[in-house]
Amino acid sequence: MTRVTLRDRLASFAFVLPALILFAVFVAYPIFYNLQASTLQWNGASDGTFVGLGNYGELLRDPVFRKTLVNSALWIPLTIVPQALIGLAFALMLDQPLRFRNVYRALLFIPAVLSPVVVGIVWSQILDPNHGTFATVARALGFDSLQLNFLGDPDTALFAVMAVNIWMFTGMSMLFYLAGLQLIDHSLFEAAKIDGASFLQRTTRITFPLLRTTHLTLLLLGIIGSLKTFELIYVMTSGGPFHATEMLPTYAFKQGFQVHEVGYASAISVALLVIAVGAALLMTRVFGAGFLTGEKK
Amino acid sequence: MNRRHTWVAAGAVVAAASLVAGCAGTARPAATDATGSQAGGSGGATTVTFRSWAPIDPALGGMIDAFEAGHEGVTVDATTMGGPDYWVDLAARVTSSTMSDVVGLMPGAQTQQYRDHLLPLNDCAVRVWGEDWEDKFHPIALDQARLGNPEGDDNYYGLPVLSQIMNIWANSEIMEQEGATIPATWAELEAVTPTYEGKGFTPFLLGAKEYWLNTSIYLELANNISPGTVYQAEDGEVPWTDPALVQAFEYWQKLFTDGIAQPGANALAPYPDAVGMFEAGDALFLPLGSQWIQQSDPTADQDTIAPLSRGMEGYEPFLFPTIPGGADEPQFVGGAEFLFGIAKSSTNQEQACDLITDWIAGDGGQVLINTLFDLPAVKGMEPEAFTSDKQRDIYRLMADEWLPEVKYSRYFKEPKIETAVADALAAVAAGSMTPAEAAESVQKVYDTL
Repeated sequence: MTRVTLRDRLASFAFVLPALILFAVFVAYPIFYNLQASTLQWNGASDGTFVGLGNYGELLRDPVFRKTLVNSALWIPLTIVPQALIGLAFALMLDQPLRFRNVYRALLFIPAVLSPVVVGIVWSQILDPNHGTFATVARALGFDSLQLNFLGDPDTALFAVMAVNIWMFTGMSMLFYLAGLQLIDHSLFEAAKIDGASFLQRTTRITFPLLRTTHLTLLLLGIIGSLKTFELIYVMTSGGPFHATEMLPTYAFKQGFQVHEVGYASAISVALLVIAVGAALLMTRVFGAGFLTGEKK
Repeated sequence: MNRRHTWVAAGAVVAAASLVAGCAGTARPAATDATGSQAGGSGGATTVTFRSWAPIDPALGGMIDAFEAGHEGVTVDATTMGGPDYWVDLAARVTSSTMSDVVGLMPGAQTQQYRDHLLPLNDCAVRVWGEDWEDKFHPIALDQARLGNPEGDDNYYGLPVLSQIMNIWANSEIMEQEGATIPATWAELEAVTPTYEGKGFTPFLLGAKEYWLNTSIYLELANNISPGTVYQAEDGEVPWTDPALVQAFEYWQKLFTDGIAQPGANALAPYPDAVGMFEAGDALFLPLGSQWIQQSDPTADQDTIAPLSRGMEGYEPFLFPTIPGGADEPQFVGGAEFLFGIAKSSTNQEQACDLITDWIAGDGGQVLINTLFDLPAVKGMEPEAFTSDKQRDIYRLMADEWLPEVKYSRYFKEPKIETAVADALAAVAAGSMTPAEAAESVQKVYDTL
């Protein structure tokens, strides 16, 4: 067995040091700063007053904060699952030897690379109940009852924004699944075909289980992306009407930059961080640390 | 390296970084040369840095040219960005002691937030304009420059650049075509939508998605019902559940429940959605403010201006209608549109003072007013050229007749109250709260202050 010398250790550390510095400056320090700010009553400019866990106590009593948690709890499954299922369906279709399939793939992926701000503005106009495309088409077809105020009604606003989010990111799921499909050994499908398995059976018994790492990757990215959702909501509803679409990032932004309660906004950000890290750790615990790479636990 | 060593190393790096970089919300040393200013340099030239969300080009470019032409050896390095981006930028720069020399500010909460980092401008104003400098300004604009100052603090941490009046705009072409008249009372306003519904335009176009327009309309309603009561509530002299303030929430609710505003009003942004529709001729009335005159910029290529906006030919301003049992006449609600402040840490304070005073009431200010960006904060300024008689008449009506009459602020002093009122208005509009509950919710927030 080769003996590891101090020189070897130092050399190894030197290789890791740049990454460590970057991590410390851009990840660890902001987290520490945020944690410390969350213990202050602070407007972001003047000296803050230490309030200990006071901001967290206020969070627990804040109905808007509770609303953001409920909204996130709805947003996560109601966007991730449809995005994954529709994305998988498109991936299965476009994995077939179709003419122009690359064109279709590109078209379906385009929304994912658009700016959420642009998407938000366009969809707000499409959904406008007076002059929007949706209302105009509904009116022209005689379905006046479909001229709904999707974004202005607290009962529908969150679901309307979710629908736009699904439209936007389904192409991303499709791309992940297409990549996953390329990794499956096609001899498995050939063998199943010879054994008389139908397309549905091949999909549910071979494809779906072998795409496990893709499902889990999309799940983890989806959870983190959902918790971070900001631009689309800010542009389409500004978190309204009456906080119906408020999410943790939009609420933190408003508290920090509209109400100038930077300490409280930091507490919201810490809560967001805890939830995101907690979700990631939970997934690692449940599915194993190597679930993203397909390695065993 | 085993896991324990890894954690120890990571912890040490974090601790070191934290010690080096300092902590949130603690006292920081005053900036010495971290303002971004470049004093000195070749030929003794001084660069004054300016960051804001307003004004924007082409007005800003002309203002810079006008100032530099009159101040040899001083150049202006200006950066503008959208409002939300700028709020973040300003907060980050204040925290990191990298404020520009001159900053744009909103009256009230924002100016107060950064008060410790802003230079009191009283001496600057006296130096440039003389002891009686306050007489140059419209009183409401100056009042709002000190909105939220602690008792006994008479300093100006920002000077008003432009003034604004909240009002309603009418499409005069549609009015003429339909034989419509300006609604002077609530009953006449209520009759607008039933009369003109289905005629291919929105009778009363309300963009209620953004809180700032909603709170402004609430202040117009509250002051038309009981002039000044809402500010007494801000000062704790009357409760927010005062019948007049509840009634203001009721009339706000009526805009939605009585079919005055269009369906979906609370999902329509004032900018760019509502204004875009109004300028395209798709609406009869639009509640907004005097800043609408900027659509008719006399200095712009007139071919690039929408036909209705050219020379303000397609518009007519009027004040929010009176409310039954309220004031006999509509009340004037308005104030300073935005302020310029100087960073306390600026190494170019004298030049920065020259810059803001020039941009408010000097050559640069004239360039700004020439574009009709909004109404001036100082008395007697007028664009050097109008593109139509109607544009001139509207400007003079607002600047010379209405502005001196403005008594009531369009802003709240306390951001938490503003947010509480905005939330309450959104809840009432969405049907999630009754007017009485809305007033109680504001009172609850007031009680926590």
